[in-house]
Amino acid sequence: MEVSTSSPQVAGSVDWPSDWLRATLGFLCLRALSAGPSYGYAIISELERHGFGTIKGGTLYPLLTRYETAGLVTTEWRAGDGGPGRKYFALTETGRTELIRLSADWLRFSDATTRYLDQPTMEGSS
Amino acid sequence: MIQQTSDKKWFDQLVMELRLRQVHGSAIGDTIASAKELLRDTGQPAEKMFGPARDYAEALELPSAPKHDWIRQALWPSTLGLLAFLLFNQAVVPWTRSELLLVSPVQLAFLATPVVLIAFLPLYLDAIIRRIWLCVGLSGIGALSGVLSAVTAPEDRAEAWLAVDPLPWLIGSTLVMVALSIRNTTQSALTPGDDDITDPSSATAESTGTGMNVIVQITNWLFPILALAMLGLALVLR
Repeated sequence: MEVSTSSPQVAGSVDWPSDWLRATLGFLCLRALSAGPSYGYAIISELERHGFGTIKGGTLYPLLTRYETAGLVTTEWRAGDGGPGRKYFALTETGRTELIRLSADWLRFSDATTRYLDQPTMEGSS
Repeated sequence: MIQQTSDKKWFDQLVMELRLRQVHGSAIGDTIASAKELLRDTGQPAEKMFGPARDYAEALELPSAPKHDWIRQALWPSTLGLLAFLLFNQAVVPWTRSELLLVSPVQLAFLATPVVLIAFLPLYLDAIIRRIWLCVGLSGIGALSGVLSAVTAPEDRAEAWLAVDPLPWLIGSTLVMVALSIRNTTQSALTPGDDDITDPSSATAESTGTGMNVIVQITNWLFPILALAMLGLALVLR
């Protein structure tokens, strides 16, 4: 996967509460790898393009390293064009299964949250 | 230019922090190369992109060698080598003068000081690497205790706690120093560059080469070399 230069699909504010990002960044990164192997800057750009703000390397790489240890991703150094190589991350089958599971869980959670928030408030009732 | 300097300092700190955590050289090389790749892509300073080097090294949670491996493989042999070298130094002058080796308790206490400092290194290694003044202070204490052990050496047999023939101590300490040097040389020959920091983006090792090999060999034979110099000095000054 390469860094896209198409117009951004920003999904609103990029100033999400850090707790929200901490909770979701894991499967968002797995999702960013679902289209194929990718490298650090491309993953950061992909998430930024979709409105999640700029993820720092100090957040991204420790997460990917933990996923590599857990067998969710594999890494490979590929030669660069006349320059230093790039480290590519790729989803394993376990990682793909985990992405499907977490995505489904998240959709159920966000659906429950939305339904609850959409309920009429009982303010003023006794 | 300023960014290059601060980035270099950050990477030096990162390597130090990962080494302190006993992370293997190949994993350190991978970490450095991937961080440099991202900095090239973004053009941002390392501190801004990754945070403090110490926090980043901790957050990575890279696999590390068992905590006590370096104590068994490096610290105990070094401590034993130092002890042998100190004993050699005590024995060499009386031997060249055909005198007895005289020892007092105070002198022994001063001699034991650097050995104790090194033996307990695992307890405070992190602190002395991060604080240069502590490193200088402890080195000063070690050197001062060496000088004081010479000053407090008994001048005649009446002052001495022990009076022994220096030759067995001289031979024994020499054998220990040479045996440890042979062991270290064999180990470094069997595992050349095993823990070097290698750059996976270009598949080259950063710390191999003739100069590095010479330094390794000098380090392996440091105590016998210094002991030989002390023997020469003692023979000249007798």
